[in-house]
Amino acid sequence: MRQVPKDTLLTKGEAWTIAFTYFTVAITVSLVHSTAGTPRVTIIAATLMVNSATATLAYAAVTAAGGSVAAGIASGWLTATRFGVLSAALSPRLWPERWKRSIAAFSAFDPNIALANREPADTDARRVYIAMSFWLVLPWWLGASLGAFVGDFISNPKALGMDAMFPALFIALIRPQLTTKNSKVIAVLGAGIALALVEILQGGLPFLFAALPALLALRNKAGDS
Amino acid sequence: MLTWSVVALLAFGVYGQRALGMALIDPKRMSGQARSVLAMIPLSILCAVTALQTLSTEGELVVDARIGGIGLAALLSWKRAPMFVVVIGAAGATAALRAL
Repeated sequence: MRQVPKDTLLTKGEAWTIAFTYFTVAITVSLVHSTAGTPRVTIIAATLMVNSATATLAYAAVTAAGGSVAAGIASGWLTATRFGVLSAALSPRLWPERWKRSIAAFSAFDPNIALANREPADTDARRVYIAMSFWLVLPWWLGASLGAFVGDFISNPKALGMDAMFPALFIALIRPQLTTKNSKVIAVLGAGIALALVEILQGGLPFLFAALPALLALRNKAGDS
Repeated sequence: MLTWSVVALLAFGVYGQRALGMALIDPKRMSGQARSVLAMIPLSILCAVTALQTLSTEGELVVDARIGGIGLAALLSWKRAPMFVVVIGAAGATAALRAL
């Protein structure tokens, strides 16, 4: 079986790196839940069913800080709003049938959407999305399951710099997209808006506002150099 | 602590948002302009996620060792280093700064 789709921009190196990063981070996430007292089987179920670290971690953070279960769940939902926006962004490039896109939605993460979106042709976007969904989700589930059992051996993931892996991976995904003046402005504004709003708005709301600079894509392409 | 009911509710809400995003839009009725805006959303959100995962913790702005690691990641990425080198370099630099 081919590891990455032929004749696409996706490389094996990218796929393996993303798989490694998600595997490693999943171990850390399991460790956080394990130290909060969540049983192993529930951690594994959460990984399989929720398929979002930020949502479960937001819940854990809110309830650990004394918040109610309802507030924790609301926070988890809010944190996941970006997946809805990202899904909507890629949706026109996937299948025309809604039911197919609804199934594909289960594995909508940041990297597979970004890499699929990078493909010039819609057919390749679909192939990359499917392939990267497997490259993401399987290590994610495997890492989380492993972390639920061996997480105790990693006493301090931050000491290993594991919290820097996700943003570093995203930097590597962003850099090739900064090819035009418009894309650079959108990137800076997206980051700036999120930072300006993080202490004001809850959960994932800063991400919703951070999507607004994408409207700059409507600017005259003649000025986009 | 996560319980089964919490997991079920989180799963419902998170998948619901993903499915809504995927299913709401009818690609056949989209204009070229709308497509070009949607195409830039992942970049914008990815930058927001990166910024917050580098400079914030639990809803508060924080400057710590991560900024050194991510700074190195940006440099390596700019120099077109392989993705794996970028990720491991950032983790290593962050760990080294914390160990100082």
